[in-house]
Amino acid sequence: MSLTSHLNSPIGKKLVTGVTGLGLTFFVLMHMIGNLSMFSGDDAYNLYAHFLMSLGPLLYAVELGLVVFFLAHAINGVKIWMGKRKARPQGYKVYKSAGKPSMQSSSSRSMIITGIILLVFLVFHLISFKFGPGGPGNGDPAYLTTIDGVEMRDLAKLVREKFATGWYTWGYTAIMLLLVVHLRHGVWSALQSLGAMRPSLSPAIYTIGGLIGLGIGLGFIVMPLALYFGMI
Amino acid sequence: MSTVLDSKIPAGPLKDKWDNYKNTIKLVNPANKRKHTVLVVGTGLAGGSAAATLAELGYHVKSFCIQDSPRRAHSIAAQGGINAAKNYPNDGDTVWRLFYDTIKGGDYRSREANVHRLAQVSNNIIDQCVAQGVPFAREYGGLLDNRSFGGAQVSRTFYARGQTGQQLLLGAYQAMSRQIGAGNIDMYSRREMLDLVIVDGKARGIITRNLVTGEYERHFGDAVLLCTGGYGNVYYLSTNAKNSNVTAAWRCHKRGAYFANPCYTQIHPTCIPVSGDYQSKLTLMSESLRNDGRVWVPKKQGDNRRPQDIPEEDRDYYLERRYPSFGNLVPRDVASRNAKMATDEGRGVGETGLAVYLDFADSIKRLGRDVIEARYGNLFEMYERITGENPYEVPMRIFPAVHYTMGGLWVDYELQSTVPGLFVLGEANFSDHGANRLGASALMQGLADGYFVIPYTLGNYIANNSFPAVTGDEDAFNEAESAADARIKKLLSIQGTKTVTEFHRELGQIIWDQVGMSRTAEGLRKAIDQISALREEFWQNVRVPGEPTTYNKNLEFAGRVADFLELGELMARDALEREESCGGHFREEYQSAEGEAMRNDEDFTFVSAWQHTESGHVLHKENLEFENVELTTRSYK
Amino acid sequence: MANSMNITLKVWRQAGPDAQGGFETYVVPDANEHMSFLELLDVLNEQLIKEGKDPVEFDHDCREGICGSCGVVIDGMAHGPQQRTACCQLHMRHYKDGDTIVIEPWRAEGFPIIKDLVVDRSAFDRIIAAGGYISANTGAAQDANALPIAKYNADLAMDYATCIGCGACVAACPNASASLFTAAKIAQLSLLPQGDPERKTRVRNMVDQMDKEGFGDCSNHAECEAVCPKGISISSIAIMRREYVKALAD
Repeated sequence: MSLTSHLNSPIGKKLVTGVTGLGLTFFVLMHMIGNLSMFSGDDAYNLYAHFLMSLGPLLYAVELGLVVFFLAHAINGVKIWMGKRKARPQGYKVYKSAGKPSMQSSSSRSMIITGIILLVFLVFHLISFKFGPGGPGNGDPAYLTTIDGVEMRDLAKLVREKFATGWYTWGYTAIMLLLVVHLRHGVWSALQSLGAMRPSLSPAIYTIGGLIGLGIGLGFIVMPLALYFGMI
Repeated sequence: MSTVLDSKIPAGPLKDKWDNYKNTIKLVNPANKRKHTVLVVGTGLAGGSAAATLAELGYHVKSFCIQDSPRRAHSIAAQGGINAAKNYPNDGDTVWRLFYDTIKGGDYRSREANVHRLAQVSNNIIDQCVAQGVPFAREYGGLLDNRSFGGAQVSRTFYARGQTGQQLLLGAYQAMSRQIGAGNIDMYSRREMLDLVIVDGKARGIITRNLVTGEYERHFGDAVLLCTGGYGNVYYLSTNAKNSNVTAAWRCHKRGAYFANPCYTQIHPTCIPVSGDYQSKLTLMSESLRNDGRVWVPKKQGDNRRPQDIPEEDRDYYLERRYPSFGNLVPRDVASRNAKMATDEGRGVGETGLAVYLDFADSIKRLGRDVIEARYGNLFEMYERITGENPYEVPMRIFPAVHYTMGGLWVDYELQSTVPGLFVLGEANFSDHGANRLGASALMQGLADGYFVIPYTLGNYIANNSFPAVTGDEDAFNEAESAADARIKKLLSIQGTKTVTEFHRELGQIIWDQVGMSRTAEGLRKAIDQISALREEFWQNVRVPGEPTTYNKNLEFAGRVADFLELGELMARDALEREESCGGHFREEYQSAEGEAMRNDEDFTFVSAWQHTESGHVLHKENLEFENVELTTRSYK
Repeated sequence: MANSMNITLKVWRQAGPDAQGGFETYVVPDANEHMSFLELLDVLNEQLIKEGKDPVEFDHDCREGICGSCGVVIDGMAHGPQQRTACCQLHMRHYKDGDTIVIEPWRAEGFPIIKDLVVDRSAFDRIIAAGGYISANTGAAQDANALPIAKYNADLAMDYATCIGCGACVAACPNASASLFTAAKIAQLSLLPQGDPERKTRVRNMVDQMDKEGFGDCSNHAECEAVCPKGISISSIAIMRREYVKALAD
């Protein structure tokens, strides 16, 4: 059997989803920590963004990797969801979870929904910020600033503008809560998919997974809310 | 005409007989094996192990089971363990001891040569099962653990928690699955064997019914292996699975296979009692519970107090009282009979009065709850799940239930029935357990027959006979199929007022009352009349719903109950003829002053083998020769 | 005697594999708390036969929770509300007078319905036939104690070996995945040294067969473990994945 057919096997699909899921979790964690630099002031934030941009080819490689991860993760998620419909063409009239040790939850059942919403948000988010004013192909001089004699993008300004609006801030917050929901099942599930699980560890890992998700989500939410309420 | 049967026991000293046999039989050329098709009916320990082994040897095997998968045969429910004379614990076990215990446990009504062979191959079974990945219990050093079972003085029982039967069966099932995957076994699930087809005096085929579509199928080959289990369900309530039945064996019987010792049935003393009319089956509690539980009933009749309110002086620990040296650990037949005596005296407990207490209070006090939980936790849990009572606090209620049938189709040393080419393995044959089976020996026998005996004896039969081609179009096939079809049509056409279950329950009650734990000539005669009347009523008044062409469980059961109605009468007849008490067969007329069983070795050291004829059953005998053991009276006082 | 209970049953009836199915409502006026769930169905069937109707077909055999024949979805849960209990051992004391119970067959593409509550689970047999065994011809075995196995591994292997093949895992899985069934056997054999020589082909072939049978993919909901009558842990699925990755390394 070829590598592609292995990756398309029931286990291959889970391995890919798990590996990409963990990779993306690491990415959002880093992204979240980067966002927190806003609390050190607009200059710190802009310097951090500028540093990332200055990585050049390395950044492009990481970005390409992220695109591949996102696509692979999403495609497999959709495949698994479609397979599920095929595997049970007729559903139950009554369906209930039997409770612990089941890990079934609103988050485990809604992975496809939260996943799709996050994907749509991602596109929107990229358009808003990465490709927004001052970004690549959109060199609006109003969104440039000079720090210590170096001219760079004033991303902080854009961020402040965006999170001055109520609907944007609250919408963003809601989406980040969905991310928490996604990660609550996702982190644990990825580790189980990669075979890194023992029965005695399951509940602990599930809790830790949930906390990581919650931490990432809250980390993303504090900065916009602080901006909106004028605290920074 | 009554005859004396020849069991074809090989010459030589007991311990050399099996080797002598193997040394002298004819072998089948490996290249020729695949030209021989063997039909194996049943996929329990006997059938599963036989099918797998024969396919490994190169035979073309067709395998049949009544369930939806070969993995579900009722061997799966055996809890306790499997005996072998490995002597790993170094406690003095030998092949001879295992042989002797089994012969004695069978109350000297089994065939020495067969039992000795069973003890000899017992060790190979354990090796084979371990090689297959059966996860037997182990000690910390990684070696296999043994326990003592059923009052044996040595620890020779291998076990896999309380699920030994399941693990052994899955081992055989997986070995079969490997051959199915390799195309060497054609597996036919959800099939019921309805008849045996004999062509030119040899068993050459079977008629099966596809239980999903109702279609009849003709299967043919060079030999038929019947591995269809016991007939305990004739009692309606038993520890057997609901689908366990005598139909395949009974149809073979009607085609000429003699039925041996039908009255030898084993009633297990520790089962959960019946709770009401709707009861569909009984659940066994491992007899290991008697190691720490004390059996008692109130001294007074009709004492309705709660057990914890009955003071010590008002309790009768009847086993300890009557059998001071064995106490609660007397063998199954003795324990069961004594429970019946207590309830017959009106001292039974529980809502129905058909139960005795098995009390762990003293053991819990002495050893602590933790120890009892470690030993029996899963059994206590099961008891609570079924009864809703907590046995740590309230004594268990137990009562005997039908568990195993020692009788079955008569076979010779080669496991061949009186029909050439029809071999019978496992519980379906009568051969190894005499009048009473010891704990942990049923699994041993099923696997011995399938893995280690049949490959030789079947080969000898095939090498010594010629097999003109059959096509399934012979008259014998036509006749058998039309008979099967006519019977099904008849069952569906009666449309009377009583259901199959009602008839079955009535039959079961008659047999339980008269051919159960204790029997009398008068009761047996009454049973014969009652069964024959019930059978007549059945064929006038049964109501079988549904169609013959779809899945129809009631129709399946109707055919089986019809056969039980014939078998039941033969059981009573056999019990009537055997004017002695031995093992599970207790005739009230033949007991000592203290109420213990009295064997009559002078007149009854034989196997009763019944032939079915148009004009009724004819009794043939196989005399049992005991050249190596001395016949003694079992005493547990 | 136990109190009589009046129980209403909504049961899936389907005349055959290709027939249109639907729910029928029946009342059993004289159920009682000591009955098992299957005995309740027995009583219903006796009632139906007397009324001249076709009884409800369901698979059952040992009725002591070990053969794996029985299995229906009761009020949305495979084998019903009591965990670690096959429905033959579920007793009516968990219900009360006047209750309504909905009964459905296992629903999965891999388990086509035969009639009423009876489904075809032969896919499981084919998964085992694809590799769920150790190839050891009869007679070729060495002495059983020649191969010591650590008690921990033997016990763990036994945990996975207790699978009864009932199919509740598939029935309860939101994706109708057969991962727990397949993994239980792979995990058992992977823990035993006897299973080592075939471990790579075993996991590949069994997983491949599982896929071909039309079962869904595992999403780690762990619902299977919650309904498994033997409580088999989803850690077996983690083991199956590790085995699979190791097999890829070839």
